[in-house]
Amino acid sequence: MARPLDGVRVLDFTHVLAGPFATRILADLGADVVKVVSEARPGNTPVTSYFQMWNRNKRSLALDMSTNRGREIARSLAERADVVIENFSPGVLDRWGMGYAAVAAVNPGVIYVQMSGMGDSGPWRDFVSFAPTVHALSGLTYLTGMPGREDIGIGSSFNDHQAGLHGATVVLAALESRRRSGRGQRVDFAQYELGVALTGPALLDYFANGQSQQPAGNQHRFELAAPHDTYPCAGDDRWVAIAVMTEDHWSRFRTALGDPEWAQDSRFATAADRLEHADELDRQISEWTRALDAYELQARLQAAGVPAGVVQTGADLVHRDPQLAASGYFTTTEDSGAYAAPTPVDRLPLHFSKTPVEQYRAPRAVGADNVVVLDEWLAMPEEDVHAEEAGGTLR
Amino acid sequence: MRGMTTDESPGTLSGVRVLDLTDERAIYGSKQLADLGADVIRVEPPEGDPLRRRGPFATDGAGNPHSLYYAFYGSNRRSVVLDLESDEGRAQLRRLALASDVVVDTGRLASAGIDVAALIEEQPALVVVSVSSFGSGGPWADYLTTDLVTGALGGLVATTGDVDTQPLNTYGELNFVTTGAYAAIGALAALRHARETGEGQLVELAAHEAIPSCLEHVLMWAWHHEALPIAESNVLPRRGSVHWSDVYAVMQARGGSIMVTVTPDPAAQLAWLMEKGAEEDLLDPKYHDLLQPRLLTMRMMEVLRDWVAEQAVEELFFEAQGRHFPYGWVLSPERVAASPQLEDRGWWADYEVGDTTVRGPGAPYRLEGTPVASTRRLSAPGTDTAALLDEIGWAG
Repeated sequence: MARPLDGVRVLDFTHVLAGPFATRILADLGADVVKVVSEARPGNTPVTSYFQMWNRNKRSLALDMSTNRGREIARSLAERADVVIENFSPGVLDRWGMGYAAVAAVNPGVIYVQMSGMGDSGPWRDFVSFAPTVHALSGLTYLTGMPGREDIGIGSSFNDHQAGLHGATVVLAALESRRRSGRGQRVDFAQYELGVALTGPALLDYFANGQSQQPAGNQHRFELAAPHDTYPCAGDDRWVAIAVMTEDHWSRFRTALGDPEWAQDSRFATAADRLEHADELDRQISEWTRALDAYELQARLQAAGVPAGVVQTGADLVHRDPQLAASGYFTTTEDSGAYAAPTPVDRLPLHFSKTPVEQYRAPRAVGADNVVVLDEWLAMPEEDVHAEEAGGTLR
Repeated sequence: MRGMTTDESPGTLSGVRVLDLTDERAIYGSKQLADLGADVIRVEPPEGDPLRRRGPFATDGAGNPHSLYYAFYGSNRRSVVLDLESDEGRAQLRRLALASDVVVDTGRLASAGIDVAALIEEQPALVVVSVSSFGSGGPWADYLTTDLVTGALGGLVATTGDVDTQPLNTYGELNFVTTGAYAAIGALAALRHARETGEGQLVELAAHEAIPSCLEHVLMWAWHHEALPIAESNVLPRRGSVHWSDVYAVMQARGGSIMVTVTPDPAAQLAWLMEKGAEEDLLDPKYHDLLQPRLLTMRMMEVLRDWVAEQAVEELFFEAQGRHFPYGWVLSPERVAASPQLEDRGWWADYEVGDTTVRGPGAPYRLEGTPVASTRRLSAPGTDTAALLDEIGWAG
């Protein structure tokens, strides 16, 4: 069945998370993503569980880029690619003789996406970063947490996923632009600039008002809302999030609580009052929630018309969440790929009515697709491929 | 400035017409399409978009408050005011949808009684992206959500916070940013298919399904913990800034905090500590077991914590980066605003808010052939109503 990106060829030099998540999305959407890997770089191969998470639906081409012949083959592939994408520090592809100018000279339609940490210019160009670095430098770590604490921040590599989402977006937008103009282009994508952009309203507040926003726990950043926090429930480290956004929610919430005397106190009359006395409010609510099962409380508050939800763990998502189960969100790959058995996957969350995305293939062993990829992209005869494999280039 | 352009340059999505019917759950998606140069038309009720009442605010020269939330999320749109309580307003909305390439919606079509299947039947190349909280079926389909609740049920809140705090949401509404980012991808992927084949379609997305795909280690723990030497169970509890791998953490230095890591080169990190005479007992052979490399890296994180506490944060950050260690100085918005990197790259954009211009975030990507415009303009409600009704041939 047709998929939205049928016929789009992606030459994929990405590693770790940000780049591979971008190409995972493109691959799910039906692009032919050829992932260049090498036994010489075992960290970027299916042996790690991390790689297993981000590299489904891609084909595997083994290419030793430390050899001249390996780079020569890579350049030939780039000539035939719609998209070349990488997330090295700036300069690596130039050193391989396949910088943008060289590739565009023979393939002017190429969309060439470089997802470096800091971008390809500026005094910080050569700074090295992983997501925790970007979180720190962008303000995301500072703004996420409790007042007076700079050592909390986001508990996973959020910005890497955002980089993947935005990387896929910019590829799709550039494809649309190329359809009209016939021209490809280079995209200089700085993961740092993305992280900074995600703090948008806080930066505008600073420039407009001189306000440098502070961490604020679970307080809503854009509206007056209280109660608005996570509250302890029965069991070991179980919590429920409750978000009272309107006076109507508050009235419904009080009813769900059984309208206790404390809730009628004038200190809790309006959202502004409740925010001012949030410590006392949260203490009262916690006393109530502490004895209750988080899922039962969620059902009770939602039935009353109050936004509320369990703080779910990964195990909850996989084993307990009835909504994800009902939509078949988790499935397993149709094949085993590099592994002994099919591997679990979370589906792309986009449901297309005419071009459904239903193919999930496991990450492939290093070089498993050498013959077919080099035939389809370069018309290289199979015996030549095997000779290159024996010679050490395709490994 | 390199990479910047005037508004006259063709945008990446020039010629793509988008009807924006999103609320806070997916407005980030239509924002991206707008920043990329699509002609995005935002429909507002007669009293104005409720999101215009969200803070923080800037006050213009005439003393009028303007939402900076809305400047960030709602700029570069044409604004049309329609009264969807009236038959005429609903008919106008339907006509606008039919005149679009893409509609991004969080439920306004259905509440106006407009059937998506009938729309696509009438305009077969139309792409409709329909974003909901939990999906159109299932036991939670009618549940209410907010960004906090979406982050909680989706799994991100459980990863954030420390052992001595409650689980925490991320700054702002980043769960809805994830949702909106997927909405933009769905719109552009379906648009490509429509351009290639003439076939439009409905694309459905639930915020609840967007979040679990962006949790880094969380599903890896749930599925593969038995294969991970560092996982004790299928859930890793929140623990402040300490990364799942144990080898990244925010540490206190003199004058500030800094994210410190021994990756990607623990040997070079050890050499640096030795150069400073700060290696403590790290040369003890008990930490140098080739079969257990984590004995060294874990001890090194402890030694670093003591050493970092004695260093001045700014000097430490630049020295680390000079040696190619991916340390990160924890910076407040005020310090981010002064970033020499962003200044040098000409990254900032101008947001036109009322009669004033406010500096703010530029685009998260730099397209060298079709640059994102450096100006974000916030239209007043209904600015383009007459022009748009004229464009769709509505004879009022």
